[in-house]
Formats: sequence, structure tokens, C-alpha cells
Amino acid sequence: MIRKMFRRQVELRAYWRKLKAFVKKLSLQRQMMENLIIAKARQDALQRKMEERRLRLQEEANRRFAASGAMTAEEQEQRTLYTNVLEYEQDHDWPKLWKANMKENPDDVTLVSRLVSYLLSRCDHPVVKLLRKHQYRVYNGLYPIVSKGLPQSPAVLLRPSRSTHNLLHPETKRKSTNTVSSGQGFSTSLSLSPSLSHDLNTNYDDEEEEEEGEEPHTQVTVDRENSFEDLEQFLTQLDLAPPHDSTDDTGSDAELTCDTSMLKEGHIQELEMRAMKEHLKAIVKDVHIAIDQLLSLCLLSFECLNTASSKDLCLASIEEAFFTPLWSALVALFRKVNRERERAFETSMKLYQDASPGVLGVPSKLFPPEPDTLQGSYPYESAVQELKLLVKDCCPQKKLECIVRTLRVICACAEDYRCLHEVDSAPKTAAIGADDLLPILSFVALRCQCPQLVSECAALEEFIHEGYLIGEEGYCLTSMQSALAYIESLHTGGAYLPADKLI
Amino acid sequence: MAAGGAGGNSGKTYSFKVVLLGEGCVGKTSLVLRYCENKFNDKHITTLQASFLTKKLNITGKRVNLAIWDTAGQERFHALGPIYYRDSNGAVLVYDITDEDSFQKVKNWVKELRKMLGNEICLCIVGNKIDLDKDRHVSVEEAESYAESVGAKHYHTSAKLNKGIEELFLDLCKRMMETAQAEERLKGNGASQSASSRRGVQIVDDEPQATPAGGCCSSG
Repeated sequence: MIRKMFRRQVELRAYWRKLKAFVKKLSLQRQMMENLIIAKARQDALQRKMEERRLRLQEEANRRFAASGAMTAEEQEQRTLYTNVLEYEQDHDWPKLWKANMKENPDDVTLVSRLVSYLLSRCDHPVVKLLRKHQYRVYNGLYPIVSKGLPQSPAVLLRPSRSTHNLLHPETKRKSTNTVSSGQGFSTSLSLSPSLSHDLNTNYDDEEEEEEGEEPHTQVTVDRENSFEDLEQFLTQLDLAPPHDSTDDTGSDAELTCDTSMLKEGHIQELEMRAMKEHLKAIVKDVHIAIDQLLSLCLLSFECLNTASSKDLCLASIEEAFFTPLWSALVALFRKVNRERERAFETSMKLYQDASPGVLGVPSKLFPPEPDTLQGSYPYESAVQELKLLVKDCCPQKKLECIVRTLRVICACAEDYRCLHEVDSAPKTAAIGADDLLPILSFVALRCQCPQLVSECAALEEFIHEGYLIGEEGYCLTSMQSALAYIESLHTGGAYLPADKLI
Repeated sequence: MAAGGAGGNSGKTYSFKVVLLGEGCVGKTSLVLRYCENKFNDKHITTLQASFLTKKLNITGKRVNLAIWDTAGQERFHALGPIYYRDSNGAVLVYDITDEDSFQKVKNWVKELRKMLGNEICLCIVGNKIDLDKDRHVSVEEAESYAESVGAKHYHTSAKLNKGIEELFLDLCKRMMETAQAEERLKGNGASQSASSRRGVQIVDDEPQATPAGGCCSSG
């Protein structure tokens, strides 16, 4: 009996415990519900606030642009971008701090560059987002052309395969994945292009990936994620690989391949070249629009940059950020378009590789009389070394500076050589004018042994900011272009290129 | 940088490009050195020496930046002229008064410039080496009437004696300013409504040649 009672009690206690637990759970659930409701309300309030803020900023942007009736799509876009900037500035303090800093130190010239480079390092800032957007657009335009088909000319110079992707931030890699996977043409040209070596030739297919195991999988991921690096690989092959057969061209070119047999080869090439030139023109235009937009947004974000000198600095920074990862692809397209000119250059280069400066019209007082005096070296070697660095830079402005340095070195060398001749006589009046400079520059460019210079300069001509073309930089670029054109015409023995071709 | 010629707050700054044309030994290098440095014997002039020179002037309260582009006179580089003289505001064509051939060359260049650049370029024909007048082979009348017939101005200079050079360039600058101002007026009439399309952003998009360093006119 007692035992029974005891058991009852135990059971009762167990029930009681269960009940208690249940009640506790109930109250907990109620609390949770309450919390949820509160959270929801908070969220709604926040959303409303956000919406209000957005509207307010939109209005501010509208005021800023002083809407004059109708709005173009471009204006609309700019307004949206500016709204994004304002929104960003509400969430981040650094723009305010920089602006204040700029105001306090208006004479600090380094501040402008520092601000712009800081701005360009903020991946979530609208300016940087816009930069990436434009870069991918241009890149997508270049990729199919550059990755497909190789130039026939066996280039002498090996392009250093520097991977440019690391210049971009990890965030952009993720973004690149999106861009790449959304652009189908991208992946197909990847898997089908015959110019690929076997390791890249994996089919871009999920099932196959799994079947083939680890290795191809990682490679496909590389293809998709490090698209810039991937392109870099193409570009390396572009210089190395022999001309490939056009019959096994990409799938997208199937119709074209069929026609090839029916039409004359030359005609096809002509058409192809015309299409390529059109494409190049479009790309150049895109690049200019992109840079214009970026500069505008930059100046909108930081009004303090809107002075003549700051604007120049700002533009230089934007251009550097914009071109650095894209240059090798851009110049690859220029090389395709300028293939004939590069070939002419190469022919002359082979014919005249050992020619003395005198052969190119350099007056004898401007180079050492006997090669022995230079001890294994040749005249103007330092200028040649300087010019060889041009292809290594990835930003137009830096390349232009390289050309300027080359010409300066030439002038300094010429001065030295003349002094060698005039040890006894009094210093002569004449300094180096264009009459002397151009033959020497031709000699230097010839010794540089780099046909790619032709395309590099053609690209510079397109991308260098107009403001620079009137000054010393412009003069140097023009002289370089002239020297290259002269070299191209050398092997024909005096039959010069028509002048209008160069303009 | 050389590109920093944008219009400041106090008045406008003009940037002009002038090409220098002439055969090898007419003395164009000495001429331009005289003008820019006024040091006939200085051995260290600029980094690019006499090939490319700049000069800052102040003409009737307006700032003028002059960029003088020397060109190669040799026949072998003749075909390359156009890439040098495109977008020039002015051209100085130099011949040697003792050398008939060099005058003939000037005539060829005038023809070419007019053909390629029309009447917008201000031409100056310059007979250099007047210190050697006793050996003159190009008569003053012939040269002056030729210049007039092609809408160019004629000058006589001596780089050696530093004669006539200052006047030549001052005159040329004034003419280029006039041309630029006329162009601006023409543009100003038509551009007033389109200017409002890009408010808020100070983009000097289609500024006349006179002020190319506006900053962001890379759309061209």
C-alpha cells in the first residue's frame, strides 16, 4: 500500500513536472511571438525610414541636377548613381572626413591622389561599382575576339604573363563569376576554342566535372572565377602558338567556316578585318564613355576635386585603375587590327637590325665614329633599354611617360656623342631638333626589336587624353608614331605609307 | 604637366600648337631656340632640346601657352608631316634667303597644309638668315607677293642677330587668338542650349582647340 502510494506520488510528481514544463514552453512561445511581432514592427519602421531616406536623397539628387523638364536616359542614370553615392555617404563616415580634410588643406597636392586611390579601394562605393561594371563590359567585348584566332605573325617579344586578377579585389572575383556565368558566349568560346591547350579544354558541363573528378573541376572553377587570369593565359599563347587552322574554329563560327571554302580566302580576310576594325572602334568608344562617366561620378561624389589640376589627377587615377587589368586584352585587339603594319615593321627590322645609325640618316657627329669605342654596346643603347620597358606597363599614361623618357635619354646621349666629336672645338650652337631626333628615334625603335610597339602606340593614340596631345607627351608620341611609320616603310625602299593612313 | 593649360578663374588661357616646317639647314632650330630661351649659345635648354619648346606669353591681358613642334625637314620623313601638323593652330614655314630650293619647299608645304587643314591654320612664311643678305637668292618681292597670294604673312628674320623673331611670334599669336575668338563666338551661339544638358558637372566637352586641356574631353 505504502509502496503504491509512493508510486502514485512519483507519478503525480512526474505529471506535475510535465505540466510545469508545458506551461514554461507556452510562456516561452508567447514571448517568442511577442518578440517576433516587435521585430517585425521594428523592421517595418526601419524599412519605412529607409524608404523615406531614399526618397529624400532622390529629391536631393534631383535638386542637384536641377531638372529642366525632360530627362535623357543618361541623366536618369547619372541621377540614380548620384543617389547611390548619397546613400553610401549616409552609411560611411570617411567621405565626410576626407572632404573636411581637403577643405582644411587646400594646398596639399598629394591629398587629391590619396583621396582618389582611397576611393578606388572602397569596393562598395558606387564609383568602384561603376568602374567594375564598365570593365567587365569592355572585357566581355574583348574576350571572344581575343581568345579566338591567333595572329599569323610570330612575334619576337614574349609577353610577360603577369596575372592581373590580383589587382582586383576578392569581392570582384565573386562578381566576375556572376558576369561570366551569365554571359553564355563566354563559356562556349572557352570550351570550344581550338586555341586552347588541353588543360583548358575541359567541357564546361557539370556532369562531366563530377565524372572527371577533382582536377578538371578546379580548372573549370578557375576559368569561371579568374577570368582575367584566364585571358592572360590566352594572351600568352597568342604570342607563342603557331597559326591555327581555321576549319576547326569555334561553334559560333560554323556558318562562316562553311562559306570559307566557297569564297576567296582574301575576301574573307578582308571582311574579317573590316569587322574587327568596327569592333575596335566600338570598344574604343565604350572605353571613352566609361571613363567620362567615371570621372563625372567621381567629381559628383567629391566636389572638391572639380578644379583643373585635381581633375587631371583624378582622371589619371581612374585611367590607371581602369586600364591596368584590361590593357593586355585591349592591345591584343589592336595587334590583330594592325597585323599588316606589324609585319612591315618586322620585315624592316630583320633587314636593318645591324644597320648603323648613319644608314637611317643620323648625322655622323651624333654617334660614335667607331663601334669599338662603346665596348660591346651600341649607340643609344640606354634609350633602347628604356623603350623596351614600354610594353611592360599596363596603363596608357605610364607608357606615355616611358616614351617621353626615351626621347629625353636620346637627347642626352646625342649631346654626349657630340661632345666626343668636339673635344677641341668650342661648343656649337645647334641643339637637337627634329631633323636629328627623328632619325635617332627610328634607329632606337628599330633596335628595340618589338613590332608590338606599333600596336601599343596605335592604342595610346586612341586612349591618351586629348589634353596631353598638345604638350611634350603628345610631341613624343607623335615622334614615336612617325619613327615607327618610317621603319615600316623602310623595307619597301622609299615607298612611304600614304600619310592619311597614319592619321 | 604640359596639359595643365585649362582656363583659370582670372580670364582665359589659350593653348596653341605651332608647327615649325623647313628644310634641314634653314636655321629653324636656331630660330626657335632664340625665341624660347633667347640664349643662342646655351647648351642645356630643355629635356627635349630644340625639338619641342614651350613659351608662356601674356597678350592684352590674356595668357597664352605656346607649344612649338619642330618637324624633320628631310625628304625621307616628308610623308610623316600630317601627323605632326594635325590640330595645329599655326605654322611657321622657314626658308633660307640664300637658298632658292628651300623656298620651293615652303611652297610645297603651304599647298599641303592648305589642303589638309584648310584656312583655319595661320601661316607664317619666314625668310631667315637676313644677315647674309649679300648672298640673297630669293627676292623680297617674290616672297612677299607669294605669301600674300596664299593668305600667309611674310617675315624676315636673323636667328644669328636675333632680328624679327619676337615680332614674328607675337604677330602669329595675335592672329591665332583672333581665329580662336571667332570660332568661340560661332560656337557660343549654337551651344547655349546644349550646354544646359550636362549641368552639375563641369565638363568642357567641345571646347574649341584653343583650350584643349579642359580635363575630360576624351570623348573625341
